[in-house]
Amino acid sequence: MSAAISSFYGLQTSLKGLLAQQRALDTTAHNIANASTAGYSRQEAVLAASEALQISAGAVQQGAGAHLGSGVDVQAYRRIRDTFLDVQYRGQATKLGEWAARSQGLDRAELALAEPGENGINTQLAEFWSAWSNLAKAPNDPAAQQALLEQGATLASAFNTVADQMDTVAAQARAEYDDLVRPAGPGDPGGEITRIATEIAELNDTIKRFVTAGDTPNDLLDRRDLLVDQLASLGQVSVTQLSTGSLQIAFGGNTTTPLVDDTSVNWSTAPTPGSWSPGGRLGGLQDMFMPGKVLDSLRSDLDAVAGALAGAVNGVLTAAGSPPFFSGTTASTLSVDPAARANPERLASPPGSAASDDTLARQIAAMRDGAVDKAYRAFVARTGSEVREATRQEANAGALTDAVESRRQSVSGVSLDEEMTNLVRFQRAYQASSRAMNTIDEMLDVLINRTGRVGL
Amino acid sequence: MSTRVTTGMVQRNILADLNAVNGRLTRAQMQAASGKQITRPSDDPFNTSRALALRQDLEATRQYMRNVDDADSWLKATDTALTQITDSVQLARDLVLQGASDSSDPAAREAIAQQVEQLIKSVKESANANYRGSYLFSGAKSDTAPYDVDGADAYLGDGGTIARQIGPGTSIEVNVRADDALGGPTGVLSTLRGIVTHLRAGDGTALRTGDLDALDAGIDKLLGIQAAGGARANRLEAATGRLAELEESTISQLSTTEDADIAKTLIELNSQSAAYQAALRAGASLLQVSLMDFLR
Repeated sequence: MSAAISSFYGLQTSLKGLLAQQRALDTTAHNIANASTAGYSRQEAVLAASEALQISAGAVQQGAGAHLGSGVDVQAYRRIRDTFLDVQYRGQATKLGEWAARSQGLDRAELALAEPGENGINTQLAEFWSAWSNLAKAPNDPAAQQALLEQGATLASAFNTVADQMDTVAAQARAEYDDLVRPAGPGDPGGEITRIATEIAELNDTIKRFVTAGDTPNDLLDRRDLLVDQLASLGQVSVTQLSTGSLQIAFGGNTTTPLVDDTSVNWSTAPTPGSWSPGGRLGGLQDMFMPGKVLDSLRSDLDAVAGALAGAVNGVLTAAGSPPFFSGTTASTLSVDPAARANPERLASPPGSAASDDTLARQIAAMRDGAVDKAYRAFVARTGSEVREATRQEANAGALTDAVESRRQSVSGVSLDEEMTNLVRFQRAYQASSRAMNTIDEMLDVLINRTGRVGL
Repeated sequence: MSTRVTTGMVQRNILADLNAVNGRLTRAQMQAASGKQITRPSDDPFNTSRALALRQDLEATRQYMRNVDDADSWLKATDTALTQITDSVQLARDLVLQGASDSSDPAAREAIAQQVEQLIKSVKESANANYRGSYLFSGAKSDTAPYDVDGADAYLGDGGTIARQIGPGTSIEVNVRADDALGGPTGVLSTLRGIVTHLRAGDGTALRTGDLDALDAGIDKLLGIQAAGGARANRLEAATGRLAELEESTISQLSTTEDADIAKTLIELNSQSAAYQAALRAGASLLQVSLMDFLR
C-alpha cells in the first residue's frame, strides 16, 4: 500500500510530541505533589513511538515500502512498585506489631514493680522481717505488735498494688483487642479490622471496573496497598491477586474464610481470643491477657510468692495455736487477717505461754532471705528478662521493617532531584517539539504564500 | 547494584539515626542523673536479682546490729542489778561476822537480824529490776516480778530463756533467772533467812560455820554469773565489729552492682551528646541541599 504523505504530516508529528511531553510533565508534577504521601508509588509516563506511516518508497527493498515515523504516544502511566518487597514488608510489620504490643505491656508491668528501689516489695519484705525481729525483742510490747501489723499491711498492699497494675495492663490489652476486632453492627461501623477490610473491598470493586475497562488506577492501587500494610501490622496477612485486579486477603492465618474475598468482607463475628494465633498487634495483645501466656504466667509467679509468704508465716503461727497473720493466698487478695489484729499478743508467742516467749516471732524473723525472698527475686529477674527479650525483638523487627521499607522507598519513592531533572528534560523536549512545529510552519509559509508569485 | 536514593529515604534514615543516638543519649543521661546503672530490672535482670539480695542482706545486718545493741543494754542492766545484789550480800556477811561473836547480847543480835531482813528486801528489790518494762530476772515471765518483796521468798518467774538473734542462725542468751542466782535450799535467800533465825536464836556456832560458808559460796556464785555476763558482753562486742565490717562490705558490693561508674558514665554522656550534635548537623545539611538550589 502506498499513499501520498500530507504536507501537514510534520505538524501532526510535532503536536504529538508536544502533547506527550506535556503528559510527562503532568506526571512529574503529580510525583512532586505526592512526594510525601504515605504509600505513594512514583509514576512514569511510558512514551513509545507511535505507529509509523507505511509509505511506498520506490526502489527500496523490492517495493515493500518504508516506515515514516509519526511521533510519540503515551502508552501508559506506569506505577513503579516491587510487589515482592510488599510481601517482605508485611511479614516484618506483623512481627513488629506483635513485639511492640508485647514490649509495651510488659514495660508497664515492669514499671509497676518499682525495683530496685525503696518502694518495691523487696524493701517492704526486708522491713517486714525486721518488724518480726523487733517483736522478738519485746514480745509483749503493744508498740512492737502494732508496728508489725502495720508493716504487714504495707507489705500486703505492695503486693496488691503490683497485682492490680498487672491486671490493669491485661485489662487494657483486652479492651484494645476487643476494640480492634469488633465486627460491624447496627449503627456501628465496627473496629479497625472491619474498617480496613470494608475499604479494601470497596476499592476492589472500583479497581475491578477500571481494570476490566483496560485502565490502571494507580492511585487507588497505592491506597489499597497501604491498607493491606496497615492490616499486616495487626495480624498476619496472605494476599492472593485475582485476575480481575481484585485482591483476596486471608487474615490471621485463617485461609478457609478469607477476610476480604473480592468485594465481600467476612467478619460478621470476631474469633474468640485464644482460638487463633493472628500474630501482629492482635497476637501481642492476646499474649498480654490470655491465661497461660507471658503476662499471666508472671502474674501467677507473683501469686505464688504471695502464697508462699502467707503459707510460711501462717504455718508457724497456726501450728502453735495462734491465729494466722495473713488472709488470702494470692497477690491481689493478700491482707492482714482480722484475727491477728484482734490478738496482737499472740503474734510472738503461742497461747498460754509466758510474756517474754518470743519463739514464734524469732522463728518467723529467721525466714529472712529464705524461700519467699528467693522466689520474689526470681520473679523480678524473670520479669526483667521478658521485658529485655521483648524490647530486643521489637528493636530487631523494627530494624528489619525499616530496611525493607528503605528498599521499597528506593524503588517506589519520589526522588525530588530526579523529578527536577525530569522537569528540565521534558520542558526542553516540549520546547524542541514546538521549535519543530515552527520550522514546518515556516516551510508551509513559503509553500502557501510565496509559491506561484513568480514575476509579481 | 546501585541503589536509587529517594528524598523520603534520606529523611527516614536521618530520623532513624537521630532516634537511635537520642535513645543512647537519654540512657546515658538517666545513668548520670540517677547515679545508677540499673534503674529497672530489664537493664540487667541477673544483677537486679543480686542487688535485691544484697539489699535484703544489708537490712538483715542492720537488724542484727540493732539486736546486738539491745542485748548489750540488757546485759548491762543485768550486771548493774547483780552488782547491787552482791553488795547487799557482802554487807550481810559483815553483819554476820558482827553477830556471830558470842559477846553480842540478844538486843544487839535482834538489831542485826532486822538489818539482815532489810538486806533480804533490798536483794529482792534489786532482783526485781526491769529493762524497758520487762523484769530482767523472771525468765520468760517478764511481766511478773520474780519476788514479792514483802512476802515469801518463792520465785514467781519461770525457767524460760530470753535470747537475741545476732547473726544468721546465731543467737545469744541474755537473761539470768533469779532462781538460779539466789534461789534453792542453799541459795543466798534461804541462807540469809537461816541467818536471821540463827541470830534470833543466838546460835553463834551455826552462824560462824555453816552460814558464813554458805554466804561465801553464794557470793562466789553471783560473781561467777557476772563473769559469764562479761564473757557474753565480749561476744557481743566481737559481733558488733563483725557486723560493721559485713555492713560495709555489703554496701560496697551493692554499689558495685547497682551504681554507675561516674567517670565512665560522664565520658559516655559526653560522647553521646557529641554524636547527637553531629547527627543533627549532618541531617540538617543533608536535608537542605537539593537540585533546586542549583537550577536557575
